Order: sequence, then C-alpha cells, then structure tokens
Amino acid sequence: MATEEESAVKEPLDLIRLSLDERIYVKLRSDRELRGKLHAYDQHLNMILGDVEEVVTTVEIDDETYEEIVRTTKRTVPFLFVRGDGVILVSPPLRTA
Amino acid sequence: MSGVEKGSTTTKTPADFLKSIRGRPVVVKLNSGVDYRVLKKQCGAFCLIFAGILACLDGYMNIAMEQTEEYVNGQLKNKYGDAFIRGNNVLYISTSKRTLAEGA
Amino acid sequence: MLFFSYFKDLVGREVTVELKNDLAIRGILHSVDQYLNIKLENTRVVDQDKYPHMITISIFDWESVDTSFKILQFGLSVRNCFIRGSVVRYVQLPPEGVDIELLHDATRREARGG
Repeated sequence: MATEEESAVKEPLDLIRLSLDERIYVKLRSDRELRGKLHAYDQHLNMILGDVEEVVTTVEIDDETYEEIVRTTKRTVPFLFVRGDGVILVSPPLRTA
Repeated sequence: MSGVEKGSTTTKTPADFLKSIRGRPVVVKLNSGVDYRVLKKQCGAFCLIFAGILACLDGYMNIAMEQTEEYVNGQLKNKYGDAFIRGNNVLYISTSKRTLAEGA
Repeated sequence: MLFFSYFKDLVGREVTVELKNDLAIRGILHSVDQYLNIKLENTRVVDQDKYPHMITISIFDWESVDTSFKILQFGLSVRNCFIRGSVVRYVQLPPEGVDIELLHDATRREARGG
C-alpha cells in the first residue's frame, strides 16, 4: 500500500494542486500565453490568476512584400478568471529548466 | 479490468496501454492546430508535439509530464520541468520517439 | 461549483468579460448560473486593441464613433446582455472582489471532493 502523501503527483491535476499560490505558465488556444499566480482552479481547469501577464502572438502580412511580421502584444491584468476550455498546457515556470 | 493476465507483456486494450506507459518517455501530439492561426500561416501545416517522461494521466487524458520538450513542426521551441496537458487537446500518445524527427 | 459560487458572490460588481471572438464587454454582473452563463447590466464594449482610452464610452454613443467601431453595434444595441458561458475566454475581476485566502480554501476543498 502506497501512502497518499508520499507520491505527490498521483493524477495529473495534482500538478495543478501543488501549484496553488505559485506563479504558473499557461498556454492557451489562439496563440495566447499567461503568467500569473494561481489562486483558484477546478477540474475543468477554470482558474483565477493574479498579477497576470498575457502575451498574444499575432502575424501580419505586409501588403507589398507579403512578408510575415510576427508581433507579440503584452498586457497585465490584476485578477483574471480564465475559462478552462481554452487551456492547452499548464506549467510551474520556476521549475522550468 | 481484473482479468488482465499476470506477466503479460502484450497490452490488450487502450486502457492497458495507458496503464503500462507511466514513467516512460512518451511523445504526445496535440490536435489543436486549427487554433494556432499564426504558426499555421507561417508553416502551412502545423504540428505541436510534447516529448517527455509521462508522470501520470487520468480518464480525460489529462497528462502530467516531466522534462517536457515542446516541438513546433519538429523544431524545439520550449522546455518545461513539469507540464500539465489538458486532455481534450490530445490527438495521440506514443512511446516512440521516432515521430519527432519526421515531424509527425 | 467553486466558480459558480464565486461568481454568485460577485453579483453587483463591475467586471469585464472577454469573449473568444475578442470582444470585451464591461458591465455589472447581474447573475450567473451553473454553466457560468453570465448576465450583465449597464454594458459597454471595450476594444482594448484599438481603443484603450474608450473604456467609458456609453453604449448610446456608438453613432458618434468611427465606422470600424460600428461593427460592434450588435453588442452595443442592448444595455443588458446574456453571455453563454462557453464563449467566454476571460473575466477580469475587480481586486476588491478577490479574497485570496477564501479562494485557496475553496479550491482545496474542491480538489478533495472532486
């Protein structure tokens, strides 16, 4: 019998549970990324983040040269509810190597 | 399923496969290409793959991975120490690393 | 249930709902249901990309703004609106409506129960 606490990550959502009150990285659909402190979440990956930085990547095509110009737009939001269905990936950024 | 044979090396059902790959290096391909407007325009086709050690997964195919590398069209774009992948985005989970070189 | 309860407590506060089609609507949260469908009152459209300064534009002023803004007419033509939960991308929350300790406790309870 394995004890409940010893293996910290028994199911994927444990990874999110351990990130509560930590700054996390969230990759979203439609070329959006968030970094913020995780204050709440549920099983759908709905989340409330604090001190959020959002990065949106867009591409514009130059009318004359047809060159593609990739732009990133940044903004900050104090508190943000994020609907879970847009989430692709969640990672605790500090542990990122 | 309690009827799984002891010591059997051949996995019989998808569930058995998923049970057998915990802790193994895996490649996860996502199906969310349609929503990657930017990269799709850039590359024509779009392919997002995560390679790493599968820590665990659940019935929704939510995945926890370690030492994860993110490949966009075969190019390494990002590394994550730990990563949670929301199951609805998963196209397949493979134990083979060969698909990476091919860009799957 | 966590976020349903949370948004119920937030009723009466002003929030900005950002939709998956990039439209952002600011208004007073009137009600919410279990699907996180949202009803807003005193709504106005916020276009953050082009009109970061227009946050205070009243919905009745839309005729006075340029044509690119008029495309938002449908969203603007009503003072109250019902937003289907599934089209929501974000909700910007008022800082005074966020009790971090309460959220942590509720989240841990929810994680145990789920």
